[in-house]
Amino acid sequence: MATIIKSYEPTFWDKLYIPALVQGLLVTFKHLLRKKVTIQYPEEKLIPPEGYRGLHRLNKDANGRIKCVACDMCSAACPADCIDIIPGSSPWDDGKERYPVSFEIDLLKCIFCGFCEMACPEEAIELTEIYDFSDYTREKLIIDKDGLLDVYDKTKDKNYYSNSQNLTIKE
Amino acid sequence: MPLLKIDDLEIEVKNGTTVLEAALENGIDIPYYCYHPALEIVGSCRMCLVQVEGMPKLQVSCNTFVGEVPPERKVDGNFDMVVQTQNDLVIQERKNILEFLLLNHPLDCPVCDQAGECYLQDYSFKFGNAHSRFDEDKRVRPNEYLGSQIVINHNRCILCSRCTRFTREISGTSELFVDERGYSSKIAALEDRPLNNLLAGNVADICPVGALLSTDYVHKNRIWNLQKKSSVCQDCSVGCNIDAFYQKRKIFRLNPRENQDVNGYFMCDIGRYGFHRFEDLERVARPLFKSNGIFSEISWDTAIEKISNKFNGAEEKVAGVVSPFHTNETNFMLGRLIKGIIGTFPHIEDEEITYPSGFRISSDRSPNKRGMHDVCPSIVDDLASEINDKEIRVIYILDNEIDKEIDETWNKILTKMDFIVVQAYAMTRLAKSAHLILPGLAPFEREGTITNDQGRVQWLRSVLPNNGESRPDWEILNLLYKTGERFSDINELMKGMGEQFPSYSGMTFFKLGDQGLPLNGNLKT
Ligand code: SF4
Ligand code: SF4
Ligand code: SF4
Repeated sequence: MATIIKSYEPTFWDKLYIPALVQGLLVTFKHLLRKKVTIQYPEEKLIPPEGYRGLHRLNKDANGRIKCVACDMCSAACPADCIDIIPGSSPWDDGKERYPVSFEIDLLKCIFCGFCEMACPEEAIELTEIYDFSDYTREKLIIDKDGLLDVYDKTKDKNYYSNSQNLTIKE
Repeated sequence: MPLLKIDDLEIEVKNGTTVLEAALENGIDIPYYCYHPALEIVGSCRMCLVQVEGMPKLQVSCNTFVGEVPPERKVDGNFDMVVQTQNDLVIQERKNILEFLLLNHPLDCPVCDQAGECYLQDYSFKFGNAHSRFDEDKRVRPNEYLGSQIVINHNRCILCSRCTRFTREISGTSELFVDERGYSSKIAALEDRPLNNLLAGNVADICPVGALLSTDYVHKNRIWNLQKKSSVCQDCSVGCNIDAFYQKRKIFRLNPRENQDVNGYFMCDIGRYGFHRFEDLERVARPLFKSNGIFSEISWDTAIEKISNKFNGAEEKVAGVVSPFHTNETNFMLGRLIKGIIGTFPHIEDEEITYPSGFRISSDRSPNKRGMHDVCPSIVDDLASEINDKEIRVIYILDNEIDKEIDETWNKILTKMDFIVVQAYAMTRLAKSAHLILPGLAPFEREGTITNDQGRVQWLRSVLPNNGESRPDWEILNLLYKTGERFSDINELMKGMGEQFPSYSGMTFFKLGDQGLPLNGNLKT
């Protein structure tokens, strides 16, 4: 059984088009006077809220050495399986025995869940608020140890762990 | 037989069984550190405490023996012993013991190689406290080398004395001892008697914590990244059972696997570190044909055709060289294929070592000499003169000796040949002298059976995947047979081998299982 749908028949008033035009322009002028919601990216940048999870960094300790001890906790916790670490005996003979010879994160695989920073026993890996790191090839989006340490140098005034409330363990 | 009641379980045990053994055999988990089935009981870690009815204090279950008691002293008029392993008192006691063991322990699991397979970690997680009440500074000592391959991290040691008992009882060399007393005790070796015996690697395995470490594996990987496959060691004709731990295409370590009929719980360092020599070899990935002195890649079909052409019509004029390093299946296939003469490489004898515990390293450092002779009974003694007599011009060699020089005799044989085929996995010296190289599998890639010098057949399992276009060695030889004579798979081949050599009949991988079977008789049933 076919239903007959009557198509809309414009009235004379509609056919003038001017009232609709005025109506539309009213919306435009209303917003012209309000506060803007868009920003002029990339000249202006949005500051993400606290706890935002962006590009990773590998922290350095007080001596400027890499904090990571290559324990593989982060790669074990990573649901995307995108962290690849080759551990080795560290070249320093005081205290720290182990460090990552190579540390790579495949940013294309990463889902930015932050499990890696949760798992890290050394507070060595953190997700920063950097979100604009697109590139032209897949290879360039595999970030290595030096790259991750550079991110730390760029963001070292910030401590993302202390921002994150759910990391305080209640006794 | 005494009747023992552990928790709710009533079991009859042999007179003189310990409570711990009885519990473990029946699936009741009692934690322990110092007990090891191969070593003397010392009862020093106190982790295995249980409550025995009628005894005023908790007892160490590893050193409490069950025996028959007179009827009037039976508990409930029935049991010879009643043991509680899970009640509150026992659990609390485990907590206390762990608190003591962890007093000076650094809790550095993130950098410790034992993490993931550490009993201290596991039991602390299961029974221990989340916090330590010990506010004082922990005792810190530097790492020390006990031998060339073994490092000790004193801070992690719980002084269970397994390692010292191992060197006293198993290797009989007594290098390790507990130095000093009480709070200052530590495991040590004398400077002029380092832990350098050929069983030293085992102490790193039996250490229940991460105190003793093999320098070969230290900071190399994490146990949860590694996969494990059971296999057999191929470095001497004892054929110790092993577990190979690997990630992707690389083996990281070998550990001994228990087999009371072969190696007990241990393995020697020759085998333990032997896998390294197969790393970073110049591998052969595709069949190579030499023309004008230069090797070029050819397809499998062409390679097989070239060999068949040489063999056809001149079957009697072909010599085959089998190898004690290859599996029974591969040797059998070559032995059956070659109608001329079958020979093998001259045999290298090394030192035979037997330890007081009975652990043996055979003088024959090849895994399958016995099996090779079993499945190729026609091996000639003097290959060179036989080749002369029969005017052999074509030779097919199974090569496995990556570091071997070609000696005079071999040089003489090779220069006489019109056509040399070498089945190899790496560019050995012998392979370089060949006209045609067929890529087979490396030792940890092979699957098949090997027979140790006691006549025990064991299942050699492949651990790593094949490399490039290389193929299983028996399969390569299979291609050289006429279509009707080929085997469809390795199981068929084993059946065929059994038909020809009755001592191997009835053998299947499934029957051999993890522990292997002796040749005489048991294979058939
Ligand atoms: S943020 Fe999540 S997905 Fe990305 S590396 Fe860390 S754990 Fe892996
Ligand atoms: S969890 Fe932390 S210390 Fe461990 S490997 Fe990852 S970043 Fe390094
Ligand atoms: S080094 Fe290991 S095996 Fe030796 S006493 Fe210490 S914990 Fe036990």
